[in-house]
Amino acid sequence: MTSLRTLVPLLLLALPLPAVAGTVKGTVRVPDNVRSGRMNQGYWRLENGNVPVRPSTRKPGTIVVLDGISGTHAPPPKTVTVEIAGLGATPRFVVIGPGSVVEFKNTGKITHELSVPADETLMPIERLNPGTFRHQKFGVPGGYLVRCSEYPSLAISVIVVDSPYYAVVDDKGAFSIPGVPDGKANLKVWAGGHWAHEESIETNGKDLSIRIESAKNQPEAKDAEGQGKEGDSEGKEPDSKGSAE
Amino acid sequence: MFLSKIWFILVALFAGVALSIALTAPRPMVQRLQELEGQRLDRAEYAMEQMLKVDAHKWIDRVARLGRDAVLAEALDSASRGSGELGVQHRTVQVRIQALLPDLAGAGISTIVAVDANGRVVARVGGDDDKSFGENIGGAELIDDALRGYLSDDVWGAGGRLLRVAGAPVLSKSRDRIVGALYVGAETGPQFAERLKKNLDVDVALLLKGKVIASTIPSEVLSGLPDMVEQHRQDIDNLKRTPALPIDVGNETYLAVAAPFPGQAGLQKAYYVLIGKKPAHADMRSLLASTSARDLKWGSFPWIPLLVTILGIIAVGLFLQRFEVEGPMQRLRAELRSLVRLDGAKLDDHKYGGGFGGIARDVNAALEHVSIAMSGAHPLGSHGPGDAPAAGSAFAGGGESHFAQAARPAAGPPLIPGLGAPPPPAFAPPSDEPPAASPSPPAYGTTASEQDEDGHIRDVYEQFLATKKECGEPTTGLTLEKFSQRLHDNRAALMAKHDCRTVRFTVYVKEGKASLRATPVK
Repeated sequence: MTSLRTLVPLLLLALPLPAVAGTVKGTVRVPDNVRSGRMNQGYWRLENGNVPVRPSTRKPGTIVVLDGISGTHAPPPKTVTVEIAGLGATPRFVVIGPGSVVEFKNTGKITHELSVPADETLMPIERLNPGTFRHQKFGVPGGYLVRCSEYPSLAISVIVVDSPYYAVVDDKGAFSIPGVPDGKANLKVWAGGHWAHEESIETNGKDLSIRIESAKNQPEAKDAEGQGKEGDSEGKEPDSKGSAE
Repeated sequence: MFLSKIWFILVALFAGVALSIALTAPRPMVQRLQELEGQRLDRAEYAMEQMLKVDAHKWIDRVARLGRDAVLAEALDSASRGSGELGVQHRTVQVRIQALLPDLAGAGISTIVAVDANGRVVARVGGDDDKSFGENIGGAELIDDALRGYLSDDVWGAGGRLLRVAGAPVLSKSRDRIVGALYVGAETGPQFAERLKKNLDVDVALLLKGKVIASTIPSEVLSGLPDMVEQHRQDIDNLKRTPALPIDVGNETYLAVAAPFPGQAGLQKAYYVLIGKKPAHADMRSLLASTSARDLKWGSFPWIPLLVTILGIIAVGLFLQRFEVEGPMQRLRAELRSLVRLDGAKLDDHKYGGGFGGIARDVNAALEHVSIAMSGAHPLGSHGPGDAPAAGSAFAGGGESHFAQAARPAAGPPLIPGLGAPPPPAFAPPSDEPPAASPSPPAYGTTASEQDEDGHIRDVYEQFLATKKECGEPTTGLTLEKFSQRLHDNRAALMAKHDCRTVRFTVYVKEGKASLRATPVK
């Protein structure tokens, strides 16, 4: 027993531990439709012309993930609850480790039909009546967009990561991931319900600043070009167009 | 003949080209028609897009006007602030909307919903659930946009129905803050499809979540349409529409252009499909089957040019036939008749070209040959006046010249087959066929051929005797033995001379006297 007690700490010391280096931070210019708070537009979107347009209260749901870093461990599995009330979900995105379970709880009065449209074998369409819940386990790292087939504006991003290095981009597009070890890593940006950007980076023990300019728009996003006039009250939203009397 | 042949070849070439054009021309024509139908659908799709856009603006204007109503603004303001009973506010808003828009269906509106500033439904008008209120629909992008201050439109697909919606904020009475929002929805179903068909002159189908929810042609026959559209998802993502695609529906073939609805319905496989008829098949049977009586009317079909062309072709052909065949043939026959009448010695073969010239030259050669042959033969007329059987008769006297002259036309027909025999003399028509011999059994020691010959000579003798009597000539001393012996001798001489099988004699009258004509038979 004595030899075993001394051997375990020695083995733990012999394991290669990642060298903690610095912080990876930067800014992400999120897709226009994500920034505007309107993913799916019709033909027209005009300002009222009397009161200023308020900024969107929706979080963009943009997440930067660093994976492929050797010697790192995935976050432990857990159960996360997403509450659906009416046509909104809280939170609208979750970042979890493999094997985690997401509980979708319908607290509103509207029946939903949730699924992962891109992988309906993982999560097929199933009716979620008011007052009921549904558990869904996500085992494989990746990005999943859970959507209601009846009300597609209700979409929840589920990001399953196998590394603890990820960050949620704030309203200004900034992110910061501290304690990233040296070595190569794969940086991915989830925005607008899909992986919008991906690149390989190398961390060298110092802080790294990254500026991602050209995150792609979501494929199903509508092109609002040529409709209405350029907005004047919320210039940071490129598709805030036109004004109405 | 040369020009006739050229004309025949030209007509055949012309017919071949016309047939080739008739068989191949429909194919590019059908392709062109298909292209035109595709372009028509393209234009219809563009018009449809513009119509949807104009409609959306119209709904936005309407809901914005509605949102300016003071009663609605006040009710929504109090609902947003949480003051007062929601049920009372619900009733107030509902009654007010019904007062402002008493005929929703007439205005093309399916439903109007008023929400407070928190996204909570205060009242609904129209639809099946106009008694329900209180739920939060603030997560909908259009509602969120309206509560932020935007006027916008969207297309929703819920409960198997498509709804075109337009939302607008409702401002406070002082117009300094947003107290709620309104949205109107116009159902996009069968009535909408019929309206599109009327305006665009194409059939329309509306698709949602892989199903046909409305169409102007029976939706049962369009069961394959959602799959076909889904197969062209790439085109739709890139071009916002598909090219004109052929769809087989029963025995009919249609062309279809599909385009997505905008807004969140685009995520629900919501498409409108414009459908046109594909042109008929290009094979001859289909073309003829699709020909109607109207196509064959005087105004539709070029009967006169066609008839003129056909008559022209026939006229040219007949003219060439006349010019090259019938004319020369008539001249040749006339000249041959002249020869028979002894008006000439030979044909003027220089007048004829081509085949007729050759025939004329052949006739001349034959005449010359026969003439030479006759001049070397022993004509019957070589009988001396004292010779039996008919001294001084036409049979003896002048027989040489008669025989020689008569032999020419008689020799003509066998030498020139196909040209027709010259008109025979009145009394004794020339013939290659031996006269019918009387059926008598052959004598011992003689062959059947010799018996025929004897019979022929006996017949000729009897005819000759009878003719002489008819002509009033004396027949004294004209016995069968002498007559037969003479004819046998002459026959042998002629057969040796002409290398012929036999010689036939005919009796005829010349210048009132009975004469004999000898005809070599090959």
